[in-house]
Amino acid sequence: MLFNSIDFLFFLPIVFVVYWGVFRNNYQYQNGSIVLASYIFYGWWDVRFLALIVFSSVLDFGIGLKIDQTKNTKIKKRWLWLSLSANLGILGFFKYYNFFIDSFVQGFTFFGISLETTHMQIILPVGISFYTFQTLSYTIDIFRNQLKPTRNIVAFLAFVSFFPQLVAGPIERARHLLPQFHKKRTFNYSESVDGLKQFLWGLFKKVVIADSCAEMADWAFAHADTYSGSSLYLGAIFFAFQIYGDFSGYSDMAIGTAKLFNFRLQQNFAFPYFSRNIAEFWRRWHISLSTWFRDYLYIPLGGSRGNKWSTIRNVCIVFVISGFWHGANWTFIGWGVLHALFFLPLILQKKNRTYLDTVASNSVFPSFKEIVQMLITFNLVTFAWILFRATDIHQAILIYSKILSPTLFETPEYVYIDVLIRCVFLIIIFGIIEWIGRREQYAIEKIVSAYPRYIRWSFYSFIIVLIGVFAKTKESPFIYFQF
Amino acid sequence: MLFMLFLLVFYIIGTVSVGLFFPKPLQLNINYALGKHGHLNSKIKEIPLHQNTDILFLGSSHCYRGFDVRIFEKAGFCSFNLGSSSQSHLQTNVLLKRYLNQIQPNTIIYEVYPNIFEIDGVESTLDLIANDNNYDYLWKLIVEHQHLKVFNSFIYGAFRKIVGLDKDYVEPTVRGKDKYISGGFVERKTSEFNAYFKPSSKPIEYKQNQLKAFEENIKLILSKKIELILIQAPVTRAYYSSIVQPQKHDALMENYSPYYNFNDRVELVDSLHFYDYHHLNQTGVEIFNQAVLDQLLLQQKEIR
Repeated sequence: MLFNSIDFLFFLPIVFVVYWGVFRNNYQYQNGSIVLASYIFYGWWDVRFLALIVFSSVLDFGIGLKIDQTKNTKIKKRWLWLSLSANLGILGFFKYYNFFIDSFVQGFTFFGISLETTHMQIILPVGISFYTFQTLSYTIDIFRNQLKPTRNIVAFLAFVSFFPQLVAGPIERARHLLPQFHKKRTFNYSESVDGLKQFLWGLFKKVVIADSCAEMADWAFAHADTYSGSSLYLGAIFFAFQIYGDFSGYSDMAIGTAKLFNFRLQQNFAFPYFSRNIAEFWRRWHISLSTWFRDYLYIPLGGSRGNKWSTIRNVCIVFVISGFWHGANWTFIGWGVLHALFFLPLILQKKNRTYLDTVASNSVFPSFKEIVQMLITFNLVTFAWILFRATDIHQAILIYSKILSPTLFETPEYVYIDVLIRCVFLIIIFGIIEWIGRREQYAIEKIVSAYPRYIRWSFYSFIIVLIGVFAKTKESPFIYFQF
Repeated sequence: MLFMLFLLVFYIIGTVSVGLFFPKPLQLNINYALGKHGHLNSKIKEIPLHQNTDILFLGSSHCYRGFDVRIFEKAGFCSFNLGSSSQSHLQTNVLLKRYLNQIQPNTIIYEVYPNIFEIDGVESTLDLIANDNNYDYLWKLIVEHQHLKVFNSFIYGAFRKIVGLDKDYVEPTVRGKDKYISGGFVERKTSEFNAYFKPSSKPIEYKQNQLKAFEENIKLILSKKIELILIQAPVTRAYYSSIVQPQKHDALMENYSPYYNFNDRVELVDSLHFYDYHHLNQTGVEIFNQAVLDQLLLQQKEIR
């Protein structure tokens, strides 16, 4: 089920009424209703893969208890390895099996050996990368003695399958989300209004910004072989807005929906395109995944505590695996490598933590230097998005070769000038609102909160009119569903 | 609750403002198509002049571009063509309920292009919103579609009608290569031929709501004791041969009424008798209409 679908428009109020109306006095029943709602939400897409979520949940629930019960570190480790291998094994099979087979065959072909292999028709279960990482954080944290295992299986099933963030995050840590299932929740009007506001902003980002820009980006990437460098780069810029609107829009809708049930999910995006360097970008983009890799991969590898070479190695490993997490394609690995190359100079010069605050935090407008820094960062990120969006590595190379040629300075050959005008208009409105709200959790959180009611209502109604007038009417799935 | 009321008022004002003051590229979901392709605006204004007609034609562009009222008049049949742009069975239903009692035809020729059973019908509803002056029957379509374009265009259209912005509108008779002929036909005299089309790889997928509306239309027509003939107008050979299992559609249509598929009944040459893969040019229309007339006369003889 998509957040931007008619089905969800009916589903959400029903769950809301059952949760607060029928079970408001018993949080255990509320947890049960969340599990049921989450399984319906997920099963709407494909009921067969519910078994995977249940299996993964029950396995990690049991392993969590086993790790806690034993004092023997070796046995604890064995249980952890079982959790890691089972979860990553399932993920590997569904997501990477065909990729490894193909790469293996291509590798042998390169040396003149031809191999006969059979492909399997494997459907990638939606959200598998997200809930796998979420359950892994549970067993790892118990192993590290950072978390006590839960003995309440319903709460644990609800934690793993919590429908607002099940299919595309934010990837919640058990330490943060699981305790929320163990306490009584009471209806909070202002929290719910806040949730609706965040949902509304997320919906705007998805159906207006992302879906409009998708038209331009898709058009450019579909004509990679004939278009000039300038058109292709413009297409990449539109893709940058598309993926931001799409993914951060989903996150806002997820966080907003969770607030309706009085749950707090972690912030997943913090205005990444206002970053002044790549390190800041990675502190602001897909925060739940970046911090997951930081805590469960980068720091255990040694982080930046070792010598220069071990730091380079660790950064490269994290970015390559992060790229590979996104999809079984060399383009994602290339995207990770490119970001590692952008990031390394900063970490080697110890400038990766230079910008921890918000840009222009004490002023309305950024300084000239900040504008230049943001533009450079945005262009580096956009340059890398080409690898992310390209269908394969050959297309990415073709696009890069055109962008790095004199055709970059030719007039772009877009046919749909109407779409171009509309996208630019919407991006300007979007950019202004995001800039004004850049210090908050999401752009419209407090943008009009100090004003009288009629101004606040007019502003929210204005966003709804924009959605009504500019939303693409064809339901389109979220990009990150494929990961 | 109060916010919902506020939102409703704000939304109406916002939508109308966008419709009135924003340039076309910024009116994505407001598609107020006053006086477009099928000349529905002109047709509806002409309806009072065509009461008690012999033949009423219904259908999409295959209808308003396919049945030339002048040819039928020459043969002694007084006729009116109520075909409109992408008119699906949902809109035919609205038009029949609105105008059938006024026109009171003896015979209805209903064009049943298979593709029309597969579409959502939004384009045609937008046509009705802009070009029909009565909104009484449109509510059903608005609920049926649940489509932002339909909803917004309806709000904007209602405002224009209430304020009277379209009251003096006169649709041009000639638009591009098309010429409107009184009686509802749209003529295109051209020797140009655009052969491009995207072949379909799937059999016809009937939308349940279209099929239901189609059956309702048949019932309504037959309940008025009007003679009904279902016709499939010809398309290019190249396109017709790409349709998967066209005989299934023939078999389905034969269940409802006398049905003639003119793809099998007239000899046409793609490049000579069509201007694109599924629309006849004037030369093609003349051959096709003569074949329809022959069939009509034959049928009348058989009845006698």
